Amino acid sequence: MTEATSDYARPTALPEALALLAAGPRTVLAGGTDLYPATQAQRLAGPLLDITALDGLAGITAGPDGLRIGAGTTWTALAEADLPPALVALQQAARLVGGRQIQNAGTLGGNLCNASPAADGVPPLLVLGAEVELASVRGVRRLPLERFVLGVRKTALAADELLTAVHIPAAALAGRSAFVKLGARAYLVISIAMVAVRIVAERGQVVEAALAVGACSAVARRLPAVEAALVGAPLSEVAARITEAEVAAALSPIADIRGTADYRLEAACVLLRRAVTQALPVEEPA
Amino acid sequence: MAISVNGTDIPVPDDPRVSLLDLLRERAHLTGTKVGCNQGACGACTVLLDGERVLSCLTLAVQADGRSVTTIEGLGDGAALHPMQQAFIDHDGFQCGYCTPGQICAAVAMLRELQGGVPSYVTADLAGQGTVTAEEIRERMSGNLCRCGAHNGIVEAILQVAKEQAA
Ligand SMILES: Cc1cc2nc3c(=O)[nH]c(=O)nc-3n(C[C@H](O)[C@H](O)[C@H](O)COP(=O)(O)OP(=O)(O)OC[C@H]3O[C@@H](n4cnc5c(N)ncnc54)[C@H](O)[C@@H]3O)c2cc1C
Ligand code: FES
Ligand code: FES
Repeated sequence: MTEATSDYARPTALPEALALLAAGPRTVLAGGTDLYPATQAQRLAGPLLDITALDGLAGITAGPDGLRIGAGTTWTALAEADLPPALVALQQAARLVGGRQIQNAGTLGGNLCNASPAADGVPPLLVLGAEVELASVRGVRRLPLERFVLGVRKTALAADELLTAVHIPAAALAGRSAFVKLGARAYLVISIAMVAVRIVAERGQVVEAALAVGACSAVARRLPAVEAALVGAPLSEVAARITEAEVAAALSPIADIRGTADYRLEAACVLLRRAVTQALPVEEPA
Repeated sequence: MAISVNGTDIPVPDDPRVSLLDLLRERAHLTGTKVGCNQGACGACTVLLDGERVLSCLTLAVQADGRSVTTIEGLGDGAALHPMQQAFIDHDGFQCGYCTPGQICAAVAMLRELQGGVPSYVTADLAGQGTVTAEEIRERMSGNLCRCGAHNGIVEAILQVAKEQAA
């Protein structure tokens, strides 16, 4: 075994992990489900920090200011947790990330740090106004998710920082959400487009709407203008108020091997209409 | 520092970068577990880690320290096949057989999840206790690919075991 292959650490305490990151560059290994495919080699190279044994990195806790989801929480743990209806979208996304084996290993933190435009975790967190918690030996800071994922494979994470958790503010736990994804086939696909919506309704009208679209732009986006147009809508009209012109203005969709820009725009609109219909409370028959 | 593999302790390798897959095949000579893509996409390397299905190509052997691994070689009791193995034979759940060990390990864990009431994306009635349908099986087995296209036989085999267990 050479020096390079032995530089592997699997600490159990966060301060130890942060000290290692502060001492020099190190690749963080969580579930490895993005890291191994990206490596293209038989083995992971360079100094490694394996965070799968870190105490307190996984798990979901509720507090007065909202929910805290540990970065090491797996998709399986998210899918099986007992969470408010506002998190249905995140739980649906969790059940659609790869197959069950990927869900058993892959983490929410890895999904965000990998910063793929097709990361299924991002739109459901955007409609929840999520913030990320970043820790280093210098201290802990919080950033809105929009200011963390900056571009394709680009985040605001500093070299000595670890993503430790995602926070959902209490105010965003209202209403019900839904997640709909379009791939080239039914199972195990990279999203061509995916959407998450969260709707709060009172007395048959929308009082709050949050919509986000992923895989159509370099970074998943909220659609504030479309959201504003939904507020006040009677429940029966919500889907019809989502127009292609407004979605286009908010998105400027990308074209790639998985779909053209026009196709993505049309798909995004159809998915948004489906998602709001799923998220709406069932109307009582008159 | 040992991993229990099918009930036998195997020392954790000195080299921390050895995958669980390589440990099983190259060091423990348990070649039932197959290498397909070696990057998480095909499911051929699926084994059970403390009863949960994992991809051994994405798991480092050191991460299994102190835990218990079951491979296709350890599913039966030595004399008799595991019911899932028998059902795959009865329903032609394979052609070349390369994906089969992974399919069978995944199927064993999957039925346990389903019967434990763990919902999938296609579960309509979240309160209903794990109804075993072909649709549920296809969704839940989506992480195991079969390039020979034996999926229909695989679904039938799993349905048979589910029926036997319910009886
Ligand atoms: C077959 C297959 C299917 C997939 N399907 C989907 C899908 O449908 N939708 C989807 O969104 N994704 C999918 N993925 C991608 C992947 O599974 C997810 O993005 C997963 O959530 C990544 O998490 P991980 O823990 O495995 O991350 P890792 O691979 O361990 O890490 C990913 C990146 O994040 C960094 N990192 C991880 N955790 C932290 C942390 N706490 N702090 C700082 N940096 C960190 C790592 O250094 C690495 O750069 C799929 C992958 C495979 C192999
Ligand atoms: S060899 Fe592990 S998933 Fe393909
Ligand atoms: S039987 Fe040949 S790959 Fe499945």
